[in-house]
Amino acid sequence: MSAVAVLPSVEDMIEARELTKRYGGRTAVDGLTFTVRPGAVTGFLGPNGAGKSTTMRLALGLVRPTAGSVTVAGRRYSELAAPLREAGALLDARAVHGGHTVRRHLLGLARSHGIPARRVDEVLGAVGLESVADRRARGLSLGMAQRLGIAAALIGDPGVLILDEPVNGLDTEGIRWIRALLKSLAAEGRTVFLSSHLMSELELTADRIIVIGRGRLLADTDMRTFIESNSPHATLLRTPAEESGRMRALLEARGAAVRPDAHGRWRVTGPTTTDIGELAREHRIAVHELTPCRSSLEEIYTALTGAAVEYRSTRSADANAEEELSCMPS
Amino acid sequence: MHAVVNTAVTPAPGFREALAFEWTKFTGLRSTLWTTAAAALVTVAGAVFVSLTRSLQPDDTVLGGSLTLSVVGLMIAGVVGALTVCGEYSSGTMATTLAAVPRRGRVPAAKTVLVSAVLYVVGLVSCTVAYLLGDAFLDGSYAQGRPLPALFGIAALFSVVGALGVAIGLVVRHPAGAVTVVIAVLLLPSLFGPLFGDLQRWVAGAAPTAALEKLTQTSDAAPEAVGSLGGWPSLALVTAYTALALAAASGVLCRRDV
Repeated sequence: MSAVAVLPSVEDMIEARELTKRYGGRTAVDGLTFTVRPGAVTGFLGPNGAGKSTTMRLALGLVRPTAGSVTVAGRRYSELAAPLREAGALLDARAVHGGHTVRRHLLGLARSHGIPARRVDEVLGAVGLESVADRRARGLSLGMAQRLGIAAALIGDPGVLILDEPVNGLDTEGIRWIRALLKSLAAEGRTVFLSSHLMSELELTADRIIVIGRGRLLADTDMRTFIESNSPHATLLRTPAEESGRMRALLEARGAAVRPDAHGRWRVTGPTTTDIGELAREHRIAVHELTPCRSSLEEIYTALTGAAVEYRSTRSADANAEEELSCMPS
Repeated sequence: MHAVVNTAVTPAPGFREALAFEWTKFTGLRSTLWTTAAAALVTVAGAVFVSLTRSLQPDDTVLGGSLTLSVVGLMIAGVVGALTVCGEYSSGTMATTLAAVPRRGRVPAAKTVLVSAVLYVVGLVSCTVAYLLGDAFLDGSYAQGRPLPALFGIAALFSVVGALGVAIGLVVRHPAGAVTVVIAVLLLPSLFGPLFGDLQRWVAGAAPTAALEKLTQTSDAAPEAVGSLGGWPSLALVTAYTALALAAASGVLCRRDV
């Protein structure tokens, strides 16, 4: 990767306007309007079946919108003169002909745009696949296939990257690697748009976040605002067992929500940590622990998309969330 | 990375690049290369078999007898065309291909040019070798037949049937389904032709295999079975409906979501 930073340019934006796709009676994408800007990693979050892949396929001109439009670098994708130089995509890491070698797969894409063959070696180096360059694609692990998909997306050195679930199948080292790669690509001024159904994957990678559920936009904001505005403050409180009942009654009298957690503490939402401490002092209740915390992003996401989950198990998602209830110290 | 490939000076990719893309994919696969080789091998093997066993009818020609199995070669040519398309659908690479070449009409055009050019060479070389083998081994009791310019027409028929395979592949998408349709298109007209009575000459006569029989001047090419249309007009007829099928199939590709 060159050290030359490229200034962010509006030319590299992805813009969806009232984008809608219906398949028969089912609406996969429902009036989506959003802008993905250069110079940042934008996470595209939603449960399985929320319409993330369809939206990306619409952006790449593979699927035709029922209504609305989506442009890449200011134009409809099909109107781009040299599409791989403008936008690189990874839709499905397994979508490689098993009989082709890793190198051949990339060479074909390079030739489709008159890109010199040495660029193939460059991108192989960038994703760390030099050692398997001459192996047939059917022998690749999912992690290696993801790296090949990212190499293919980078072949035209594009200003826009559209990556559908690129973290799937990567091991810990691979996840760390892709996180650093995506951040550096964004730092070079590129537009990096990646989807995931797991909040935890995006939490450390994305600067901005677009959340959809059942094809509709649920949130479009920067990551910090998203966390701060959506996470209700909670406090973990431990008092001596004989006083915990009284403490709970006092808190509930002031409109706080109080629930026991798995470690014998009260999880209090509503009043601030300070108010809780003051309240305990007023009533001369000993406090053994008072920990301010906020909901994890996973919880926020579950709450946000709970109504919009396409496929739900008979065991309700809320019950699952309750059990895994965690608290991140803020 | 931006420094390495300068987007400002390189011209926008066109049909040449789309063709280079298809050539790279075609030559990188053992499956397509072996299938193409099989079309040639079976044609030559037919000449060797007929020469050794003299299993041709007394009224047959040396050219027709030598090219007995070119009909199987022709079927494989159609399969090659279908597989260049269906291989992309079954592996999921069609989305990648269309993302690289979003002016979709270029994709079937490039595949057709590639497959036709390769099959023309394969057809010409294998049928010429087959004829020369038959000519060397069969004695003078058979009529010779006129190999020139017929061999060029036969090679062209390999090209056209390959293109027909591309069209079928685009519509059917599934490899097994497309191969079945290719075989059916080549086999069924002559199989079911007799059921059509007087129409047999039209039904069986319009098939690519009928054009092949006429061009190879075999004794099977009787007017009552395959009509009185000559070899070259038959080739033109097959070319015409293949062109229509390709145009329609390209239209389907351009309208369909991937």
